[in-house]
Amino acid sequence: MKKTIAILLAVCCVGLMLASCGSTPASSPAPASAAGEAPTVPTEEVTLQFWHHYSAQSAENETLMNILIPKFEQENPGIKVNAVSHEWADLHDKLLISAQSNTLPDVARLDSAWIPEFQQMDILVALNQEMSDFDSVAGNLLESAMSTAKIGDDFFGLALNTNTKILYYNTKALADAGIAPPATMDDFVAAAKTLAGTNGDGQQVWGYNEPGLSGWNLCPFIWSCGGELTNPEQTIATGYINSEATVGAIQMLADLYQSDSITGWNSGDIPMTDGFGTGRYLMMLEGPWKTAELAGAYPDLEYGTAPMPAGAGGSHSVLGGEDISMFTSANKEAAWLFLQFMTGEFAQEEMAKCGQIPVNKATMETETVKNADFAPYIEALPNAKSRPTVAAWTEMDNDLMVSVTAVMNGEKSAQDAMDELALKWDALLAQ
Amino acid sequence: MKIGTNANRLRVASLLLPGLLIFGAFTVYPILKLLVMSFFEWDFGSMFNQTFIGLANYQEVIQDEYFQIAFQNTIIYTLVTVPGQMVIGLLVAALINSIKRFRVGFRVIYYLPVITSWVIASLIFRYVFNTEGLLNYLLNNILSLTSSNVRWLDSRWGGMIVAMVLGIWKGIGWNMVVFLAALQSVPNELYESAEIDGANVLQRFFRITLPSIRGTILFALVMLTIGGFNVFTSIKMITGGAPAHQTETLLTWMYYKAFSTGKFGYSAALSFIMALTLGLLAVLQFRLMQSDKAGDAL
Repeated sequence: MKKTIAILLAVCCVGLMLASCGSTPASSPAPASAAGEAPTVPTEEVTLQFWHHYSAQSAENETLMNILIPKFEQENPGIKVNAVSHEWADLHDKLLISAQSNTLPDVARLDSAWIPEFQQMDILVALNQEMSDFDSVAGNLLESAMSTAKIGDDFFGLALNTNTKILYYNTKALADAGIAPPATMDDFVAAAKTLAGTNGDGQQVWGYNEPGLSGWNLCPFIWSCGGELTNPEQTIATGYINSEATVGAIQMLADLYQSDSITGWNSGDIPMTDGFGTGRYLMMLEGPWKTAELAGAYPDLEYGTAPMPAGAGGSHSVLGGEDISMFTSANKEAAWLFLQFMTGEFAQEEMAKCGQIPVNKATMETETVKNADFAPYIEALPNAKSRPTVAAWTEMDNDLMVSVTAVMNGEKSAQDAMDELALKWDALLAQ
Repeated sequence: MKIGTNANRLRVASLLLPGLLIFGAFTVYPILKLLVMSFFEWDFGSMFNQTFIGLANYQEVIQDEYFQIAFQNTIIYTLVTVPGQMVIGLLVAALINSIKRFRVGFRVIYYLPVITSWVIASLIFRYVFNTEGLLNYLLNNILSLTSSNVRWLDSRWGGMIVAMVLGIWKGIGWNMVVFLAALQSVPNELYESAEIDGANVLQRFFRITLPSIRGTILFALVMLTIGGFNVFTSIKMITGGAPAHQTETLLTWMYYKAFSTGKFGYSAALSFIMALTLGLLAVLQFRLMQSDKAGDAL
């Protein structure tokens, strides 16, 4: 008898397990069919899933949730927007994983550097092909910013906001050393060497901080020294990444590093804001977000800003920023309305109030933008350049970091490292 | 009798079934799926139409210079940390075994690192060895032994040594507990008669203690070798593979390839290469210990 009960119990357990595994799709037919009907019955309410990386507590997120989305929903009855905030790095990985399982959102705000990678996966909509009024919408946005969404002849998103990096310097330290804010690359090198040393507490200080060795960090120096990464068509690297000017820029940074004038790039070192705020780093290249961070954490710090120091190639910083794209699985009509709204004058001006540099040409002319903290960046934007918009960029960026690290650590000469890199890049660009 | 046996079998089967189902769904199936993936070009670029490429992933892994660095690093990590933990663990166990008082206290102290979270211990090690860290503060500002901060974590061997020190520090306690249990099972009579025969402390240790706990040593060796190959958290948290992937180990490199570059086929092949290596090592270790035993018996 006991045995029988035991067997029955065990069978029940297994049955329950199997039932709980298998019943989910079968027992919930209502939502499944509702979702399936949505595109065919336009009168029904549509919910757009929008993923972004405005941080959850930021002013941008407040504006998005409390001003922009309510306004969009009011203007477009029948369309709801469900906005989800992610960490920057998480968003990239979550999108990759969602693509694997076919659970992508409709629309996402993407770091412009991710566009080539997602385009290669065939999950982004080529807007110029699908949207008949694309040209008139894109015509309202800055060409330089729109170039980040362009691959080949197609556009895989609309520029949403743009940014670049400018030079921050510690006013007091420069005045004490009797040097002017560096305007040329030679001035910059001299300033970094002069400013480095030890402070009153015996702590090491650095003339300049660079927290990494990827394209975002190196490109301003390479371009301003007259170097290039690839040919203009982005098909060949040899003769560009290993040119005399590029090698010279890398060697210049390596010399500064070896003389302890600039910091290393260890993730555990003092974070940029704190290093700059406490006077351990005396110069840095940073984006518009740093103004608000410094005002919050080090309100008494006296600092100035200047354009990227000009070298033989001029003064060129690196273009950053975000694009807004829709995925192939999206409800395209509703998503297109939302994309237009987010790049329209109203949304762009509201976001400009939170420190986001707009890309809408009309918004650029408003008083909000002219009086904004980010005004110095707007001057730097016309000369800022975009990193290569090729699918292999993530891999190329990693190779660049590896090669330059070897130069910094004195394992290879700059010329040898860049020659090897050029061969690797040629192969990647040919794919 | 027969009916009883059948009923018994049914009962055993029904009791085993839930466990087997879970094991099958969450262990066997993923392994088989992984094996299939390792023969396909399976990355973000070809997610929806994978192509069969035979052994190309395996070839790519073996020829990859970063894999070779990661493989060397893993081997060195294992070669250093496994004997390191075992020797110190055995020494501590022998010392604790020989004292009469405070045994529990010492056991607790040595076991504490084992129950500390890997992430937290790794972060603390990172802050200690950072260029702006505690060790540099001590050397530079307090003792004035160095003129500027040393970049401990900015080189391949610096980063690896810190991770290895952490691995040994964290593993001593586990070895101590395992060896202490083994030491307590060695019959006291053996030591007494050896003492009468005039054997000194070292002779007793090498002639009696070590042979008596051979089984435990083999167990610890196999477990720790697997553990050494699985090093991940400490490397990920302390160096993150920097500088320039010079401190990657097999698992951190696999993780990087899969989740940062989307090369799932490559990572699947890498995991099978790693499993094969571990299997071979385990067989080798068992053989060695057995032949050693046979030699002793002669």
